[in-house]
Amino acid sequence: MDGSISVHELVKTYKGDVKAVQGVSFEVGEGEFFAFLGPNGAGKSTTVQILTTLVKPTTGTIRIGGVDVGKEPERVRWNIGVALQETGIDPVLTGRELIEMQARLFGFSKKEAKTRADELLTLVDLNDAADRPCGKYSGGMRRRLDLALTLVHKPKILFLDEPTTGLDPSNRQAIWKEIKRLNREEGTTIFLTTQYLEEADQLADRISIINQGKIVASGSAEELKRTLGFDAIQLVFELDEEAERASQILTGLGENIERSKDEVTLYTENGTQLLSELVRKLDENNLSPKTLNVKPPSLDDVFINVTNEQKERA
Amino acid sequence: MSEQRKGSFLVDTLVFTKRSIITIIRNPLIFIPNLIISLFFLFVYEGGLSGISELPAFEGANYLAFILPVSIVSAAIGGAGGAGQALVKDLENGYFSRLLLTPSSRLAIVLGPIIAGMLQLLIQTVLILVVAYFLGLEVAAGFGGVIVVLLLTLGWGLAFAGYSVGVALRTKNAQSAQAGTFVFFPLIFLSTTFVPYELIEAGWLKVAATINPTTYLFEAMRSVFIDGWEAWPLVRGFLVIALLCAITISFSAISASKAVSAD
Ligand SMILES: Nc1ncnc2c1ncn2[C@@H]1O[C@H](COP(=O)(O)OP(=O)(O)O)[C@@H](O)[C@H]1O
Ligand SMILES: [Mg+2]
Repeated sequence: MDGSISVHELVKTYKGDVKAVQGVSFEVGEGEFFAFLGPNGAGKSTTVQILTTLVKPTTGTIRIGGVDVGKEPERVRWNIGVALQETGIDPVLTGRELIEMQARLFGFSKKEAKTRADELLTLVDLNDAADRPCGKYSGGMRRRLDLALTLVHKPKILFLDEPTTGLDPSNRQAIWKEIKRLNREEGTTIFLTTQYLEEADQLADRISIINQGKIVASGSAEELKRTLGFDAIQLVFELDEEAERASQILTGLGENIERSKDEVTLYTENGTQLLSELVRKLDENNLSPKTLNVKPPSLDDVFINVTNEQKERA
Repeated sequence: MSEQRKGSFLVDTLVFTKRSIITIIRNPLIFIPNLIISLFFLFVYEGGLSGISELPAFEGANYLAFILPVSIVSAAIGGAGGAGQALVKDLENGYFSRLLLTPSSRLAIVLGPIIAGMLQLLIQTVLILVVAYFLGLEVAAGFGGVIVVLLLTLGWGLAFAGYSVGVALRTKNAQSAQAGTFVFFPLIFLSTTFVPYELIEAGWLKVAATINPTTYLFEAMRSVFIDGWEAWPLVRGFLVIALLCAITISFSAISASKAVSAD
């Protein structure tokens, strides 16, 4: 069994005709860091639950490490580590007890389980709280314990469903650092879901953007930015009204225009060419921006664009 | 390396049972009130109603021996119901999913809380018997009779645990699971709870007592306390319990297989 993931035409329709996943296919190679990026309700958690044997797909085939998830779920469970969106922790047990128990269920002897618990508690920096009931842990501590439980059996493939959502920056950094290390140093395959573009951009080798149960764009962060092919011209004004006026005047000049408060962003195929016309138009209308930037698109821009396109098509 | 490891049904079951026992011990509020209520039954009914055992229908039996099975059986309901409650908690806090993601035996996941519940029930029953002994209980069938009572209680507990686990896995919600346990209170009281069958006056209660399986459990226990070794009440008692167990355990097994493979 290797560390690959292969998903073919995955469909999940819940009772009541809720089409959570609508024909998703993708491949993740051994040792690759793959991210599923999408807003709430996109179908990320459903996909994770299906890939990790918890939920049955409506149709589609999934191979984890070459093993068919529908046919041999138990073999798959030996080789994957899963941190679901909701942490799975018994509040009555202590952190140490939970890790030791998890290790025993993965075939460790009592002695091995103790050693593993010590290692992991140090790794996620929970030594001080190890012998307190987890019900008393803070949100960040719970997340870190949940990650430790996920790593107990040194899985080849990790599934992490929004592992940093709702965490403060220091806990987020700690989790990022650890999953980066697992991927870069131990060669663990990682499937991560996130709503944060920054997270996907920072961590993943390859990203698929998922929206309303469908993959709408895939590639490395760089590729996604390039396929979009747009530059973003960003104008910041003194007053919100000025920005509003400017966005009206400039509509039609580029491919797409966005305004938020005092900021206007114009997407165009060639930013520098358009610039002189843009400046002239602003001048004619007595508008002068505080700052003006031309920059290649960020992943944010890609995300806004593909989800907008999808809305228009719908 | 992870693929070289092996799972073991026995280890899984032990691990889950141990964990359930720890949970019970750390939450004494789960079992102490239940035990107190059962002992309260014993004291109040023995103290308040023992006069009626002068009636000829009791055939000279001691009222303590007559009411003791009611106390034991109601305590058992609380003990066995804990198994379902424990699973509901796991479902609610997401730990159940974490357990399903391990390669452990699915059966062991459900068995752990049931075994722990049976152990709790055994200890409770022994405690109640000890209290009854100090109140003057004499067991006509001797020590063997005590063992029979313990076995009957375990069987009854197992039947109820199966039921509570089934309801828990089906509803996945603490309130509904709790509500499900109330079904068993009418079973205790619509029976030969306080007086022998011959003394029940209302016709409907006679009918209820006849179809109520609890009646046969009470009668079996009373026979060893009061009359000594008599085959028929025991055979009937164990048969009724075997039947109940078969029904509720199948119910819980079906509910479990649905709950562990959600679709
Ligand atoms: N168990 C379920 N039953 C019915 N609908 C569900 C269930 N789980 C998720 N959904 C629906 O499926 C869609 C995708 O949800 P989800 O996979 O949780 O998205 P995400 O994780 O990207 O936020 C949503 O519309 C959600 O309401
Ligand atoms: Mg989700």
